[in-house]
Amino acid sequence: MTVGPQGRRPLSFWILTAVFVLFVLFLYGPMSAIYILSFQGPTGGLTFPMRGVSLHWFGALFGQQRTGDFSGSFARSIILALIVMALTLVISLAAGLAFRQRFRGATLIFYAAIASLVMPGLFVGLGIALVCQVLGITPRWWLTGLGAHLTWTLPFGLLIMFAVFNRFDRSYEEAARDLGASDRQVLTAVILPILAPGLIAVALFGFTLSYDEVARSTLTVGARNTMPLEIYAMTNNVTSPALFALGTVTTAISFLAIAVALLTIARITRRRGTGPVRAADPAGAPS
Amino acid sequence: MTGTERRGDVALHEVTKRFGPTLAVDRVSLTIPHASYCCLLGPSGCGKTTILRMIAGHEEPSSGRILIGGQDVAGLVPAQRGTALMFQSYALFPHLSVRDNVAFNLRMRGVPREQRHREADRMLELVRMTAFADRMPAQLSGGQQQRVALARALITNPRVLLLDEPLSALDEFLRLQMRSELKRLQTDLGITFVHVTHTQPEAIALADLVVVMNQGIIEQAASAREVYARPRSPYVARFLGGQNVIMGKVRDQDGRHALLDGPGGALFRVPLHERRPRPGEPVWFAVRRDLIHLARAGAGAVTAENSLEGLVEAVEYQGSFVKVTLATATGEEFLVNEPEAAFFASPVARGDRALASWQPDQVHLLEPDRAGAGGSPSLTAAA
Repeated sequence: MTVGPQGRRPLSFWILTAVFVLFVLFLYGPMSAIYILSFQGPTGGLTFPMRGVSLHWFGALFGQQRTGDFSGSFARSIILALIVMALTLVISLAAGLAFRQRFRGATLIFYAAIASLVMPGLFVGLGIALVCQVLGITPRWWLTGLGAHLTWTLPFGLLIMFAVFNRFDRSYEEAARDLGASDRQVLTAVILPILAPGLIAVALFGFTLSYDEVARSTLTVGARNTMPLEIYAMTNNVTSPALFALGTVTTAISFLAIAVALLTIARITRRRGTGPVRAADPAGAPS
Repeated sequence: MTGTERRGDVALHEVTKRFGPTLAVDRVSLTIPHASYCCLLGPSGCGKTTILRMIAGHEEPSSGRILIGGQDVAGLVPAQRGTALMFQSYALFPHLSVRDNVAFNLRMRGVPREQRHREADRMLELVRMTAFADRMPAQLSGGQQQRVALARALITNPRVLLLDEPLSALDEFLRLQMRSELKRLQTDLGITFVHVTHTQPEAIALADLVVVMNQGIIEQAASAREVYARPRSPYVARFLGGQNVIMGKVRDQDGRHALLDGPGGALFRVPLHERRPRPGEPVWFAVRRDLIHLARAGAGAVTAENSLEGLVEAVEYQGSFVKVTLATATGEEFLVNEPEAAFFASPVARGDRALASWQPDQVHLLEPDRAGAGGSPSLTAAA
């Protein structure tokens, strides 16, 4: 950090600090208000001040009442996110492996896959809904909803796999083959374990992108809402802090997914000794 | 008995490898005897690594045959060939401990855990890495990683160990240490080693058979002493170093000697042996740097046969000898390694004119290069 001759910081430091503080306030301020208000007392309302502190509104979420179908939409969202995660992982890995070979039309297929990232999500959903209507398919969250989510998660998964394979040294594979591994063993004993951190990242993206998807979902999930859509509906007709409690719960789940993923990656890198240096006992007795 | 004695033979017959339009290996034939140490020597891009990878089964030849122990290995996967390749980057699996890396081959073959760990520990003992068995590869130094890679390759009990630039990632001290260790291992195990390198001292220190390559073909395949002292072509002489390569055009020959016109009016007399060059034909020959007599050139000195006059460009003290660089009419650097005592008896300095001369029987006649242009002076890589 630059410090002036008399120990005074330059003006630029204070300007940049102010910008950063504003950014953090803007990022976390409104969110924090929601988290705090979700612990509103039973007699409290949608705004400050707090009238006591309670878990009342969290309880209200799970109770049968006018807050809408919270439990159902939550279950649907989690199941859908898990299916999307698994499919994204498998398909992205397979595509990443395939794109390592030069094949005819590789570039075209790549751009076609990536293009769905820039198309407006609402119209992707609209297109799917229209086609389904023509084909006489009733939109359902586990059918058309799943497809819509995959148009969003697969390009991300593919891009991550590209980055992952870019850093993957193919001599690992050749070494494995040289040491007698079959094609299948090369995949299971070498490629998958080495790529594990990248695969976890793909899984995390698949899960979280699906979990809070709105634009592509609105017209494709059919009669039963996923949770983001349910929340959106609630903002129009729920007038209690239960809405805030819902925000807190869903955010906690997102953070939980991220924490699990990051901790797993950290564990792997620490085990491989590629993370922060730790002293290893050179005379470690063979176990 | 002959069967077992030849099980580590490696034979290449007219092997060619193309990568698209590029010809990486051009009709190479070579026989590496069982239990010998062979070095494939050449600059990067000369095809040496491609040959190694074809023997290992990681590349298939475009044409030609490869035999290991007399058996054609076309279409066999690496593990069926009885070869083991040690990669330049070592390619140790980062997610496995040292012991599990070494035991990888046994795990692939379904050997029970306890037995494969016992075997792995035995191999680690061979390369003196027992104390590091539980470490992860990222926690090892380059030299330690190499020992593990060696143990991992040797646990397959190969007939032929293939080493791709095994010493290039190590510092000078470790390189010399590992060099002698490789030789010790090869002798102890009694298997064939094929070692790819671009470093001339490494090749001649280790190899029973040095294969000097250039642009996808073999310039010379012979013992270390042979390629060093009796290089076949100007390319080999320059790449191995230790020689001055000189060209002259035949003026006259009497069946035993030829008289050559050299640059700047110099005259060289060279023994012909079997060769019968026509008048006017260019002939290359080599003279070892340490077999040249150096004298201060007197004013108006008459240039005698078998000598070159030049300007001293550099004088480097090397301990047991002094390396003097002359700029002569040949257009190439002319190097003289004069014994220390002889040099200091009549020293020369930068800027002096000096006369380098040699005996005709110390001249070694060269054949033209097989690849590329005959006398390109740009190939003095190992000078």
